[in-house]
Amino acid sequence: MASRIVTFNLNGRDVEVMVKPLTTLQAVLREHLHLTATKSGCRQGGCGSCTVLVNGEPMLSCLLPVEDIAGQKVVTLEGITPAEGLHPIQQAFFDNYAIQCGYCSPGMIMVIKALLDRNPNPTRQEVMDAIAGNVCRCTGYDSILRAAEDAARRLQSA
Amino acid sequence: MAIQDYFLPKSLEQALDLLTEHGPALLVMAGGTIAMPLINDGISMPEKVMGLRHAGLNAVRRENGTLVVGATTTLTQLAQQADIPMLQEAVRHIGGWQIRNMGTVGGNLFAPPPAGDLAVALLALDATVTLASKQRGRRTIPLAEFFTGFMTTALAPDELVAELHIPLPRGKTSYIKYARKHANTPAIVTVAAHVVTEGNKVADARLALNAVGPHPIRVRRAEQLLLGSPLNADSIALAAKEAAAECEPFTDAIATDWYRRRMTEVFVRRALERIAE
Repeated sequence: MASRIVTFNLNGRDVEVMVKPLTTLQAVLREHLHLTATKSGCRQGGCGSCTVLVNGEPMLSCLLPVEDIAGQKVVTLEGITPAEGLHPIQQAFFDNYAIQCGYCSPGMIMVIKALLDRNPNPTRQEVMDAIAGNVCRCTGYDSILRAAEDAARRLQSA
Repeated sequence: MAIQDYFLPKSLEQALDLLTEHGPALLVMAGGTIAMPLINDGISMPEKVMGLRHAGLNAVRRENGTLVVGATTTLTQLAQQADIPMLQEAVRHIGGWQIRNMGTVGGNLFAPPPAGDLAVALLALDATVTLASKQRGRRTIPLAEFFTGFMTTALAPDELVAELHIPLPRGKTSYIKYARKHANTPAIVTVAAHVVTEGNKVADARLALNAVGPHPIRVRRAEQLLLGSPLNADSIALAAKEAAAECEPFTDAIATDWYRRRMTEVFVRRALERIAE
C-alpha cells in the first residue's frame, strides 16, 4: 500500500513526513526525524518511556499511529529543552539525583511537565498518581518525587 | 505480511461502510492500547486496520436520568464528564495517566481479565450497550449479555459498539480493586456493588466482579441472597460467601485461583460493609 504524507506540529514547528500505514509517532520521531529523546522501551504501553504530549495530554507514542494526530500539536523533550542550559524540571532531576541510566527520564519529565502545567503545586500523592504509568528501574522513585516537588518550587518562583 | 492499509473513518456510518466492505479481515481499534501492543510485538499481523479515534463517537450526554457515553470516549474524558463517583473511582484504577488518555470506554469492554476494570462498574450500574450495523441498524442489549466468554462477545462481525447507556445510580455504590500495587496494575479481584434499600431492607442489589471469571461477571445468586434482608453483618457474610462460590477464578502471574476466590469473599464483604456504613 502506498505511503501517505502526514503533517503535524512538532515542538512549535510544522513537520511533514511520509509514512507507511499504521506507522507510530514513536517511529516517526526516532527513525524519520532522528529525535531520540523519546525512548523506545517496551512498545507495549507498559513503561512510559515513549511519553510525549499531544495537545498537552501525555500519551504513549509507541501506541499512537501518527495519522491519528495529523494537524495536532506534539511536544517532546527536545521541545522543552532550551538552546542553552536545561528546563527547570531537567535541572531539578539533575540536582536531586533523579537520573541514573536516564532511560525513563524523558517520559518522566514530560509527564511531570503535563502535571505542573495543570497543577503548579501538586501533593506527593498527586505526583505519584501522575507518574504511575512510568517505570524507573534505577532510582526507587523517591528521588524522582523529590525532583518533581523541587521543579514545582522552581517554576513557581521563576 | 506488512499492514496494507490503515483507515481513519470520520463518522460511524463511514466506519460501518468500511467494516461491511472489508469484513473480518479488518482489525478495529480505538485508543490502540490493546491492539497496538500486539501489532508491535508481531503477535497480531493484520493486513488492514481501522482506527476509530476520529469517528465522532467520543461524546458524553445526559438523557432522562441516563448517561449516554460514546464508544470512543477516553477514560480521562469519562472521569471528567461523568458525575458518577463509582465510574470515576473505576477509571482512577485503570492503567496510568497516558493509558487513560488513550484507552476508550468501548475498547475497555474488549480487555481480557484481569484487565477491563471499567466494565465491572458498568455491570453494577446496569449499563446497556448499543451495537450498530450497516444492514440491520442498531440494537441495545444489557452489558451482562454482551459478554459471552473469554475474549468473546455478542458483537456480530458486521457490528461496532456505538455507545453505552448508564442509568444514574438509585442506591449506594462501592468499588474496590484489590491488586498487588496501588496503581497501574492488574487486579486480583475487583468488586463493584450497587444496593438500593427500602425501609431498612434490600430492594435491589447488583454485585459485579472482575478478574475472577472469563469476563466481568454479575454474581446473581449472591445478589438474590441480599434481597429482602437488612444489609447487616449476617446478610453480608452470606452474600460474600456465595459470591466466592459463584465466581470462576483463574491462575495467572498475579495470583492463584485459590487466592482469588478467598479474596473475592473478603472484598465483596468489604464492599458491602462500606455501603452498609
